[in-house]
Amino acid sequence: MISFTSDQRFIVTGASSGIGEGVALLLNELGATVIGIGRNQERLEGMKAKAKHPENVFLEQKDLAEDIPGLPAYVKALKEKYGKFQGMACCAGLSGIMPLRAVDYDAMQKMFAVNYFAHVFMVKGFADKRNNNGAGSAIVCIASRGGVRTDPGMTSYAGTKGALIATMQSIAKELAPTGLRVNCVSPALIQTNMADETSRQYAEGKYPMGLGKVSDVANMVVYLLAEQSRWISGQNYVMDCGMA
Amino acid sequence: MTRDEFLIQMQDVLQTDDTLTAETSLDDLAEWDSLAMMATMAFLDKNFGVKVGLKDFIEMSTIGDLMAKAGV
Repeated sequence: MISFTSDQRFIVTGASSGIGEGVALLLNELGATVIGIGRNQERLEGMKAKAKHPENVFLEQKDLAEDIPGLPAYVKALKEKYGKFQGMACCAGLSGIMPLRAVDYDAMQKMFAVNYFAHVFMVKGFADKRNNNGAGSAIVCIASRGGVRTDPGMTSYAGTKGALIATMQSIAKELAPTGLRVNCVSPALIQTNMADETSRQYAEGKYPMGLGKVSDVANMVVYLLAEQSRWISGQNYVMDCGMA
Repeated sequence: MTRDEFLIQMQDVLQTDDTLTAETSLDDLAEWDSLAMMATMAFLDKNFGVKVGLKDFIEMSTIGDLMAKAGV
């Protein structure tokens, strides 16, 4: 049975909605203390209102793409405020279609900032041994099925997720001697705000088991953060109901 | 950078909050593992343009030796 104690603190980015919200709420339900980071204070408070143990949910309003080189110092400041961390789930991300003829350098850089660079620099901060609980601490990054098996028109998105998966594998191997684990979860389309009408229509007929649920991903993420997965690191788990 | 700044930046390189001095012995540091060695190599290269290899570490036993190598 997966369970945590309230002195096990987890950072969750993108905690104000979708997968991040689901992960934050599940960690909290299972006993952990959650520091939820998001851009929108109102939505963060909405997440906390749904928590089973709201006294163990702390909210931090922050746009992670604002000052990427400053993120390791930001994690250190969070540790000064709350104490060392047991784990981190990086769920913040942007989605979007960008066919080749519409490829735009500025737009790509913005997507890379949120989907890739922010995750890497948050991990850099977390992995500083002064900020985590040492061996047994774990990180999960939400990538995407699109990072390994992708479709036309996802030029930028696929790149950000593919980069994330590769970088996290390298980081995992570098950190393995310290006992810190890093894994990615790569879902196909999940029923959240990010799954807009365009993508739902695109998905029609392709998903043998229908679109995924936030709880499907949250269960996997929480497993990879818990001691039950102590021997797993450097992996990427695609969750796509066995679609073609 | 100054010697004092070097000592402060080395705290981040080694991921320690302990005060470092020129006399601090590398072998005595709990943090002195292969990751710390790689991070030190990157730090010297990026800030001083000095490239050190694993063999160079045989001759350097204190933080002071690192500073001398960096020309600080």
